[in-house]
Amino acid sequence: MPHQCTDCGRTFDDGSKEMLSGCPDCGGNKFQFRPGGVDSADPDPDAEPPEPPEPATDGVTRAVGSAATAVRDLVSPDPAEPDPEADPSDGATSPGQAGSTPSPADTAPEDAAQASARADVVPMEELPSDTPEPADEDHTPTPDEHDETTRHGETTTTDEREDRPDLADLREELNDQFESIRVLEPGQYELNLMELYDREEYIIALQEDGKYTIQVPERWKDG
Amino acid sequence: MGILTELKSSISRAASTLFSAEDPKRIGIYGPPNAGKTTLANRIARDWTEHGDAVGPESEIPHETRRARRKENVEIERNGKTVDIDIVDTPGVTTKVDYTEFLEHDMEEDDAVRRSREATEGVAEAMHWLREDVDGVIYVLDSATDPFTQVNTMLIGIIESQDLPVLILANKIDLEESSVQRIRNAFPQHETVQVSALEGDNMDEVYDKIAEYFG
Repeated sequence: MPHQCTDCGRTFDDGSKEMLSGCPDCGGNKFQFRPGGVDSADPDPDAEPPEPPEPATDGVTRAVGSAATAVRDLVSPDPAEPDPEADPSDGATSPGQAGSTPSPADTAPEDAAQASARADVVPMEELPSDTPEPADEDHTPTPDEHDETTRHGETTTTDEREDRPDLADLREELNDQFESIRVLEPGQYELNLMELYDREEYIIALQEDGKYTIQVPERWKDG
Repeated sequence: MGILTELKSSISRAASTLFSAEDPKRIGIYGPPNAGKTTLANRIARDWTEHGDAVGPESEIPHETRRARRKENVEIERNGKTVDIDIVDTPGVTTKVDYTEFLEHDMEEDDAVRRSREATEGVAEAMHWLREDVDGVIYVLDSATDPFTQVNTMLIGIIESQDLPVLILANKIDLEESSVQRIRNAFPQHETVQVSALEGDNMDEVYDKIAEYFG
């Protein structure tokens, strides 16, 4: 049961469309995602408390990953929107490429589930055929160019995956949004928690013009 | 001479191991604004320190705590053993601070703007402490409000990535709207203990868990 309503506990299959307009039972609109294999942690708090003092390493990573995913969902304006860069290569497999590049589905079971969920909900043939294809108008990309973009795109993704995937993505996304503290107007602030957490120097005082007074780590002073 | 130096260094090594074993663990009390962090810190201080001095003032207005405050050498006795901890009450963590929120509490605009600036500095301080200065975290949540927030998810994620022991408290169970299960659902990978820091309900279990997690 990959999705569960956080209010009434009703569960839904992966990729289920039932919950798209809220939980049919209680109307709740928040669901938690439980990838396969985590089911053993089915919460029955009274029966047997989990044993947090010794969390498995993969448990921690997974938790951070899912935390990051949740945050990214909150942050990104339209998560359902397909990645425009990935689009052109998806439909028509360019010659010489098939099978040579590992598809994202090979990397992790979670990715496979998500990929299949996406495929179930929006099959390629159902996509509107008049999606903007500006390239056709004035410049048709050659297969080589196609390869180039695709390869480039995938390489980046793979690299990020290897190195603490979701937390890194999340950090980058938040950093792109704004610096550690943004002064909207005097008395109104937006804070980038990841950036505040990441920085070695410590902001001790704010000024309304957006300047900070910071305390730098001791070792910086040594020179 | 050589033997003496060696002896000296071996003694100091032994002493440092001895002291590090006895050093109280520094436990940060974290959570969103108005979750009851200071009320909890005060309750712990009152129960376990000689004079029972408060750690800080409690208030219904968010961001009352705008500087991290530390209470050192809190000795909690459990099952014949003593657990020595320093508790750090931190400012509530949030991604937005807006002075207009304080105007609703009959505050002058100047005061509200200043409170807002100090609260923002406080969040920066709390995040900085989390990076370097705590050995464990008590994460306090108001069980009458929705735990599925960006701040909670991010903070718990950071704490987990640091491998810090964390105890989640579902506070304010004295309120009618309280739902402990909602918090358990939000963070099934951690143990959640219900409590009312204000009323002192279920504090015994909290102390048991503090001893178990941070002892």
